[in-house]
Amino acid sequence: MAEQNTIQTRTDKLKQKFGRQNWLAAGVLFLAALAFPIFPGVEGWMASQASLIILYIIAAQGVSVLTGYTGLVTVGHGGFLAIGAYTSALLTKYFAVDLLVGIIAGGLMAAFIGFLLGLIFLRLSGAFMAIGTLGFAFFIGTVANNVPIFQGREGISLPPNRILGLEIEDLGFYYVSLFTIGLITLFIYGIVRSGVGRAFMALRDSERAAESAGINRVFYRTLAFSISAFITGVAGVLNAHIVNYVSAEVYADIWYSVDFLVATVVGGSAVLMGPFIGGIFVVMVPFFFETLADFAYILKGVVLIAVLLMAPAGIADLLARPFRALRRRQLEQAETGSTNEAKP
Amino acid sequence: MSAHLHCENVTVSFGGVVACNKISLDVEEGKVVGLIGPNGAGKTTLFNVLSRFQNVDEGEVYLRDKPITGLKAHQIIQLGMARTFQNINLFNEQTTLDNILIGAHRLLGNPFADMLALPSSRRIEAKLRDRAVQLAESLHLQGELDNLVRNLPYGMQKRVELARALAAEPDIILLDEPVAGCNEEETSELKAIIKRVNEEFGITILLVEHDMSMVMTVCDYIHVINFGANLADGTPSDIQTNRDVINAYLGEDH
Repeated sequence: MAEQNTIQTRTDKLKQKFGRQNWLAAGVLFLAALAFPIFPGVEGWMASQASLIILYIIAAQGVSVLTGYTGLVTVGHGGFLAIGAYTSALLTKYFAVDLLVGIIAGGLMAAFIGFLLGLIFLRLSGAFMAIGTLGFAFFIGTVANNVPIFQGREGISLPPNRILGLEIEDLGFYYVSLFTIGLITLFIYGIVRSGVGRAFMALRDSERAAESAGINRVFYRTLAFSISAFITGVAGVLNAHIVNYVSAEVYADIWYSVDFLVATVVGGSAVLMGPFIGGIFVVMVPFFFETLADFAYILKGVVLIAVLLMAPAGIADLLARPFRALRRRQLEQAETGSTNEAKP
Repeated sequence: MSAHLHCENVTVSFGGVVACNKISLDVEEGKVVGLIGPNGAGKTTLFNVLSRFQNVDEGEVYLRDKPITGLKAHQIIQLGMARTFQNINLFNEQTTLDNILIGAHRLLGNPFADMLALPSSRRIEAKLRDRAVQLAESLHLQGELDNLVRNLPYGMQKRVELARALAAEPDIILLDEPVAGCNEEETSELKAIIKRVNEEFGITILLVEHDMSMVMTVCDYIHVINFGANLADGTPSDIQTNRDVINAYLGEDH
């Protein structure tokens, strides 16, 4: 029994150390992102490009909750992006609300529609879910194009952004985006490690076994839909306010949905860092290969297929492998080390 | 009538095929009860009826005298009944520890508090984790807690599934072919564990199994079904000498 205890404490201590290392790495990254605008060589326009990357990452994080953790493939999250964008745009136009209110309202409206969609699609899975969500994105695009309040292709122009009463420009917007993604990442981290996250993953891996363990399929599926839609809805708000303009021309575009799915899958759909890598990839490919124009989509497709073939868990998972192997070795050493000591 | 689990005249048909025809059975509290029958006798269908994965055309199932055919599959565990699956149904992409913790899902408390990691749910989580580790130790899985279950050997996966069922703190467990596909060593190990679960934890067990020597040594009482209907019931020694049972398994000539 004493032997058992030494093993426990040794590996537990090591695990705590790994946990601290993770937090430290995340903290350093966040600080680097905070300091990014004052790095030498950084120009003004980069802040707005960085905000764009951040909002893509957030949108992909929304997809990862549904597709990665709950196992429901969505090709329709552009619809939630649009809902978030239009909700905040209309509130800003008619009620001159603060950006903070816009972000929360846009997220909540998307969550509400996500909840309804989750109920409607309760019996869909696999390719059927993909097609259903694709249909949803088209539906939202059609609504944006044809319902007068959304002003179709003419679009809605928005006043300069104000948050907490302060007028902000590109740099301020970058910090708003940065804090938003920080909070959302913490939120997802909390969910994934909680019983709710385990319930999502249980439904993904085996619905039957999950139900016999007492997991309410209807509740957790609609919850996953709502959370996922909320997050992508928030990205939509940022997408509207980064250019102070929304238009059906932009939001009826199905490529948003595809981009978010590609970002999630390429980065790693069930890994916290996945959407980060995928988001950067999806935004930077057309940026670096401007001359490619539409061929950028082909490049994205090729990378998607390559990742699916060679690293189906995503690039983030691939990058994490050596670290995980190293830690596993350390854990094993700690275990055998203490057993050897205990044995005479 | 105070059987722990009791079903009455359960009838299920798929199209023209009657899988269960007025099957009735009792599982007495604290006993290990076996459900056997030749292939296609309707055992799995009956199991799915008991765990609410299959609706009945007729009949009723009572868990501690409470009718349950109106409940949803996920509500059954709230009444203290857990189950395992015939071909192992684990959460393959997750670790042994997480599999056991998912089994403890019903003890979680408010999901919203849990999601936001409020102090109350952190306490619950810590307690569930400790219990999961203890459970893994008692089923000799302590070295596998951080390993993905899909990488575990078959016999161990069977034990993880049992640990997952036990994590919900049930007072009755339905085991669907607990030793199917296991080698001799794994079988005797699982047999000992099932005995212990029954005796130490005081959990009632109903099991479907094809391994006759296992059924005869582990069970206190046996129900035999054939062609979707009750054929016989009794103690293992009664069943071994029952003419109808012998005929059903070996054919009329014997």
